[in-house]
Amino acid sequence: MAFVAKRCGVKFDPPSIVLVYEDGKTKKMRQRIMPVRNFSKCSDCSQAAERLKNNARHSAYLQGVSLQQLERLHAVLRDHLRGRTLEQSLASLRLDPDQDLNKLSDEELARRKAQMDVLFERNRKHKDDPDFVYNLEVEFPEVDDREAGSWDESEEGF
Amino acid sequence: MARGTTDISELDQEKYDTDERVKIICLGDSAVGKSKLMERFLMDGYRPEQLSTYALTLYKYTTTVDGKAVLVDFWDTAGQERFQSMHPSYYYKAHACIMVFDVQRKITYKNLANWYKELREYRPEIPCIVVANKIDADMKVTQRNFNFAKKQGLPLYYVSAADGTNVVKLFKDAIKLAMSYKQNSNDFMDEVMRELENFELEQNEESSDKEDNVSKEEKTHLQ
Ligand SMILES: Nc1nc2c(ncn2[C@@H]2O[C@H](COP(=O)(O)OP(=O)(O)O)[C@@H](O)[C@H]2O)c(=O)[nH]1
Ligand SMILES: [Mg+2]
Repeated sequence: MAFVAKRCGVKFDPPSIVLVYEDGKTKKMRQRIMPVRNFSKCSDCSQAAERLKNNARHSAYLQGVSLQQLERLHAVLRDHLRGRTLEQSLASLRLDPDQDLNKLSDEELARRKAQMDVLFERNRKHKDDPDFVYNLEVEFPEVDDREAGSWDESEEGF
Repeated sequence: MARGTTDISELDQEKYDTDERVKIICLGDSAVGKSKLMERFLMDGYRPEQLSTYALTLYKYTTTVDGKAVLVDFWDTAGQERFQSMHPSYYYKAHACIMVFDVQRKITYKNLANWYKELREYRPEIPCIVVANKIDADMKVTQRNFNFAKKQGLPLYYVSAADGTNVVKLFKDAIKLAMSYKQNSNDFMDEVMRELENFELEQNEESSDKEDNVSKEEKTHLQ
């Protein structure tokens, strides 16, 4: 690959996505700043992320950057436009395993799902993968492993 | 009850009484992976029907069970789980239930108790499978005890919609359970309904001699 993505970030002014990458030929680290255009506090982050990923000038550099990651970076930019601090924004992007996702708005829920998609895509077996098995059956023998921990504790009524 | 979904009762569900049709419902919190599981099972072959006014998605699937063609309707929620309660029509005439939690979020496991309670209010007898999804995220969870299933006497499946582990088995088994429930069904709720209908007719007989014959005929149809 001509450019190997190393790290991503954002710049607030003007709103831009920043990519640190290695140039495959020279082996030098370089930084690329990609301004995000026509982006407001009402913009759709997943659309904007897709637009950037397919942008004629940037797409070659963004090969190794997932759409989900670009979407999250856009979410940080948009939060800034909405007056949220970076800390607030990052906290909302972090997955809190105890959070009740039933209580979120559509948009917040979509954001959580986009985060979950990172792991989902990483572990996903596609139909065209050589080792894909449609009916993959695995037996998990019942074990009584206390060390694995239990979610049942001694709570009543459960 | 949840907003904007009351019209769900207008859906024609009488079709589920015919021999070759079953209805299987999915339950569980938001983002546990209900829809991803459906999609993994059906792969490209799926034709989801978005009934957005009803906040649900219907997936149709045809298969054969014991040499007979069966049309399966899988009912998936499309946001209504948010209210932690489904419209009664969602449960109506269901033959089996797939109840999912996310092994990465304890709260979704805790909430199974609420989902199960609501399920049993409407469908006291139908087979129900408990599903621990997302095991790809942490295989160690397959060694953990999830006593809820055991306590309720329900089968527990460890699955992953991402890598496909046990997904097809889960759905095939759910279809088998739904079919055998349907064939041997003596569903309490439906029985009660039938009793009530008969009861009304008998009362009619008493109140009017002229209608006697009609009533008797109606009664035999009902039996
Ligand atoms: N790692 C992993 N993530 C999953 C799996 N199934 C679903 N997910 C993630 O969970 C998110 C919510 O799934 P979805 O099917 O929309 O949940 P639903 O609200 O219950 O229908 C998805 O966006 C995926 O990223 C799985 O088996 N493994
Ligand atoms: Mg869903």
